[in-house]
Amino acid sequence: MMKVIELRKSYGQGESRVEVLKGINLEISPGETVALIGKSGSGKSTLLSLLAGLDRPDSGEILVQGQKISSMSERELTNFRAHNMGIVFQQFHLVSTLTALENVLLPLELLKRSHSLETAKNLLESVGLSHRADHLPSEMSGGECQRVAIARALAIKPAILFADEPSGNLDEETGERVMELLFKMVVETKTTLVLVTHDPDLAKRCSRIIHLEHGTLL
Amino acid sequence: MFTDYSSGTRDSSVKFKFFFVKEMKKFPFFFLLLFFTLLLGTMGLVGISIITGQVQEKLQNNANELLTSDIAISARRDLFPLEQESLFKILNEYPHRHYKIIDIYSMISNLRTGTTRLAEIRATEKGFPFYGKMTLKNGEFESDQLYISKDLADLWQVQENDELQIGELVLKVSGVVEEDSSMGLRGFSLAPRIYLPLSKLLTTGLLKPGATGGFAYHFKLNDLTLEKVQRIKTSIYKVIKDSAVRITLPEDSSEQTGRVINTLTNFMALSALIGLILSLVGVFYLYQSHLLARLKDLCLLNLHGLTKREIIVGIIAQFSFIFFLVVVVELLFIIPLYKTLAPVLSTNLGIELSPEVNVASALTEIPFLFGLSLFILVPLLLGLMRTPMGLQLKASKLSMGRFRFWDFMPFIVSLWLFSCYLGHSFRNGSLFFISLLMVFLLSTLVVRGGQWILRKFIKNKGLLLPTIENGIALRSLSRSGHKLTLSFLSLAMGATLISLILQLDKMILKEFALDENKPSLFIFDIQEEQMEPLVSHAREQGAPLAYITPMIRARLEKVNDKKFVRKKRSYDFRSREDDEENRFRSNTLNLTYRDYLTGSEKIISGKPFPQGGAPDDRLPYVSLEKRWAQRMDLEIGDKLTFDIQGVEFEGQVHNIREVKWTTFYPNFFVTIEPSLIEAAPKTFLAVLPAGPKETKLTFQRSTVEKFPNISFIDVEELIGKLSGLFVRARQAIEVISWLSLAVGLVILYGLSHDQVYRRYYDLALMKSLGFSSTRLRLNLLYEFGVLFLSAMTLGLFLGWMIAQIVGREVFKLALSVDWDRLLYPAGLLTILCLVTIMASSWRAVRARPRELLSDS
Ligand SMILES: Nc1ncnc2c1ncn2[C@@H]1O[C@H](COP(=O)(O)OP(=O)(O)OP(=O)(O)O)[C@@H](O)[C@H]1O
Ligand SMILES: [Mg+2]
Repeated sequence: MMKVIELRKSYGQGESRVEVLKGINLEISPGETVALIGKSGSGKSTLLSLLAGLDRPDSGEILVQGQKISSMSERELTNFRAHNMGIVFQQFHLVSTLTALENVLLPLELLKRSHSLETAKNLLESVGLSHRADHLPSEMSGGECQRVAIARALAIKPAILFADEPSGNLDEETGERVMELLFKMVVETKTTLVLVTHDPDLAKRCSRIIHLEHGTLL
Repeated sequence: MFTDYSSGTRDSSVKFKFFFVKEMKKFPFFFLLLFFTLLLGTMGLVGISIITGQVQEKLQNNANELLTSDIAISARRDLFPLEQESLFKILNEYPHRHYKIIDIYSMISNLRTGTTRLAEIRATEKGFPFYGKMTLKNGEFESDQLYISKDLADLWQVQENDELQIGELVLKVSGVVEEDSSMGLRGFSLAPRIYLPLSKLLTTGLLKPGATGGFAYHFKLNDLTLEKVQRIKTSIYKVIKDSAVRITLPEDSSEQTGRVINTLTNFMALSALIGLILSLVGVFYLYQSHLLARLKDLCLLNLHGLTKREIIVGIIAQFSFIFFLVVVVELLFIIPLYKTLAPVLSTNLGIELSPEVNVASALTEIPFLFGLSLFILVPLLLGLMRTPMGLQLKASKLSMGRFRFWDFMPFIVSLWLFSCYLGHSFRNGSLFFISLLMVFLLSTLVVRGGQWILRKFIKNKGLLLPTIENGIALRSLSRSGHKLTLSFLSLAMGATLISLILQLDKMILKEFALDENKPSLFIFDIQEEQMEPLVSHAREQGAPLAYITPMIRARLEKVNDKKFVRKKRSYDFRSREDDEENRFRSNTLNLTYRDYLTGSEKIISGKPFPQGGAPDDRLPYVSLEKRWAQRMDLEIGDKLTFDIQGVEFEGQVHNIREVKWTTFYPNFFVTIEPSLIEAAPKTFLAVLPAGPKETKLTFQRSTVEKFPNISFIDVEELIGKLSGLFVRARQAIEVISWLSLAVGLVILYGLSHDQVYRRYYDLALMKSLGFSSTRLRLNLLYEFGVLFLSAMTLGLFLGWMIAQIVGREVFKLALSVDWDRLLYPAGLLTILCLVTIMASSWRAVRARPRELLSDS
């Protein structure tokens, strides 16, 4: 499903150069749910951004479904991501000028999927937000936004879902409910999941836990 | 106990460090942009105020020179002894000097050549003129000698020491007056002047009791204040109640040219004001984004003990500092610039400007400018005041307190006052201001209406409209709240102002377009039987005449069968307009008859005369000049009775004409439908169009010999001066228009840049979802394209509309559509928009989705 070989990434130059990832090797099988844990600043978000193709490694290779994303062109990568990956951010980013429904619709219509409107409505219902379909992000609570973001990430039925502390900005109870939903949907759709979290309990719910420390996996 | 940090040096030094050192270091781009926006916006106004100050001063001097004194009391008859007594009783309270001038027309003969001519005799006393100068060919003007004007000398070949017979007196010519500053650009009186001591005039026997002419008492006050002169004026009006007695102050005697220059400088000032408003829109925008970006830090400062008030004071101090820098740079730049430009400007404006800059005059507007600029920030500062700062840090998204409509009130009111101040008239300033307000309201209405329609349109539709980029763009347009309204407004406003300037400029350009066929000589007093021989004589001389027009001297006796009386004047409130009215209200006039309109005339109400003259069964039609009709209180349908050399002539007002004021051909207040009137005693008037100087002179000399009664007025020099003036003034206006345009464009660029910046995260997110750079660009292009184009279209249209209104109300211009000035800026702005969107989307497209993963 996904294979990572000798992945390296550093920021800055000269004196202030920080080596964040110092040769990561990793393999993830289809349907696996992986929790990525580590101290703050250990490079979790950095690793995730590389895996999701949001950023480029300095060296090393990333293969997703047999395709080398680390050597794709910008255009190929964008296209690949649109078809195969879903991402949920900590700040539950939604396009601010689109309603909840339209935010879910966005990746579907981008790929010109058929029956996208129905799919989007169903998804919104499955995250329990049918009644918020016509609301703008600014009119919803953080938890609601994050649920929309999850629906959006799963809309295209991605082969792999990345989530970076999706409950990090939510209160405990809401966070739990959102995570509950995330897991439920991932299990239902048998989506591969890479989840960055600080919460050991959450991590335990995943089929595998990997530790990131000093730029390497333990 | 608590330690009190809210006062004391430590605290203020911390504040100083934060607002002046750290902030400015951290946001050089913002402060630089702010600086340049303010600089560009205020530069035009400060520059204009210097030039206007100089021009006004020059005009004031000019007006003084025209009147030759501080105040003049005059009538068509001499003041009665009782009136004289009361006049001097009032004036003797103020230390002064005075002289009397009498102007009369009389035939005079040159004893050497034996020829006789009509001349205007100006009899003066010692001291004349208090202001201005009589320039002689040789020597100095003495008030006890006889002088003749240059045109009389040319025409008559009069030499010094020639003897002239004036009434019963024979006097020797002591010199030739080359230039009389009291003639000004107005230039022509009906006959060439001769200058005579008043005591001599009294012995000519020309001043029989009841003689008419101009009798004027001129005064120069030892220490002059405007207020004193006004006081004198009102007290004189209180004791001398005859409305035939006129009191003239220098500003009343300023001539058409002065008014034209005034109009032009006012227009320049308003253009510069437009530049300023544009730049203030920019300042508002800049601050809005900046404060939003700084909100987190400001909240933190608040948390650490700085009160909101202190924060706001800090921001104001920061702004004041930047403004101060702007002023310094301005003065450093503008004064040397003006010094080098003054000679150029002088020749260009046709009036001498002093190269010295009165720094005080340059600085008078600065406080206004500062106030206005500060007031535009009031809504933002009040918004900040209303921001719940402490709570903000918990929220995931920071938001600033909303500002309300009333927050703009200080700015709006001061803008209004300022435009009145700059326009030098409450009416014109208000008109300008109200126009701007209308643009504001209309743009808001259009945005809201447009959004409402868009919302209806996209309801229950997918994102593909027809493409996804388009769909997202439309949604974003229909949903962005006041931010979109604001950017639409600024864009529309900018486009409006640009279009307004261009339109007005073009209209003025058109109005100032001078006839190709400029007249060179006016020829008067041509008797009916002389007409044909004169015309052929002129043709023989190679100087064919044009504009041959009958001229009938008449007096308006009755209106609608009631004796025509001038409106009673009120003695307490006399404005300039009243005086002007009196000047107009002399009821003797020259009229003409014809059944066509000249190129410079246009009927504004009523119908043109029917062809073929007036039939017997109705009164002949009369056409009146608009301003004259207004002053005389006459309307269409009124029956007028004229006295033409003892014979009554009746006519009915059929239409009102407007006469283009830049025409240099003679015009008549009253024209009458031909037929009956043709029998009336009349003389003719003709014009010699501009041609070689030699031809003109030989024509003039030979004509004087053949037809000694005919008089000439040489207008060539005058018209040359005037047309030069117009051309130059137009150029000045163009420069200012383009300057304002430049300011507008800079700001439009800033606006779109800012819009893209605000959407950074949205764009990064869309990228992470699989939008390619091209598609993002397309999306932005659609969104901003629609915004730009609709705002621009609306703005250009509104600008055109205001230009029409202002043109009508202020400059008395006719309605016109000028496609050039609509389409070119539209094209230019479109290209600029595309470039701007591309340039700013470049930045957005570089948005890195990776940043979505970081915490803030
Ligand atoms: N754009 C960047 N430029 C320079 N350094 C960066 C950049 N992004 C991240 N870093 C550094 O890389 C290191 C890893 O950052 P990263 O965001 O991956 O940490 P993280 O494990 O996600 O931490 P957290 O749990 O706090 O989110 C940090 O030391 C950070 O300072
Ligand atoms: Mg992180």
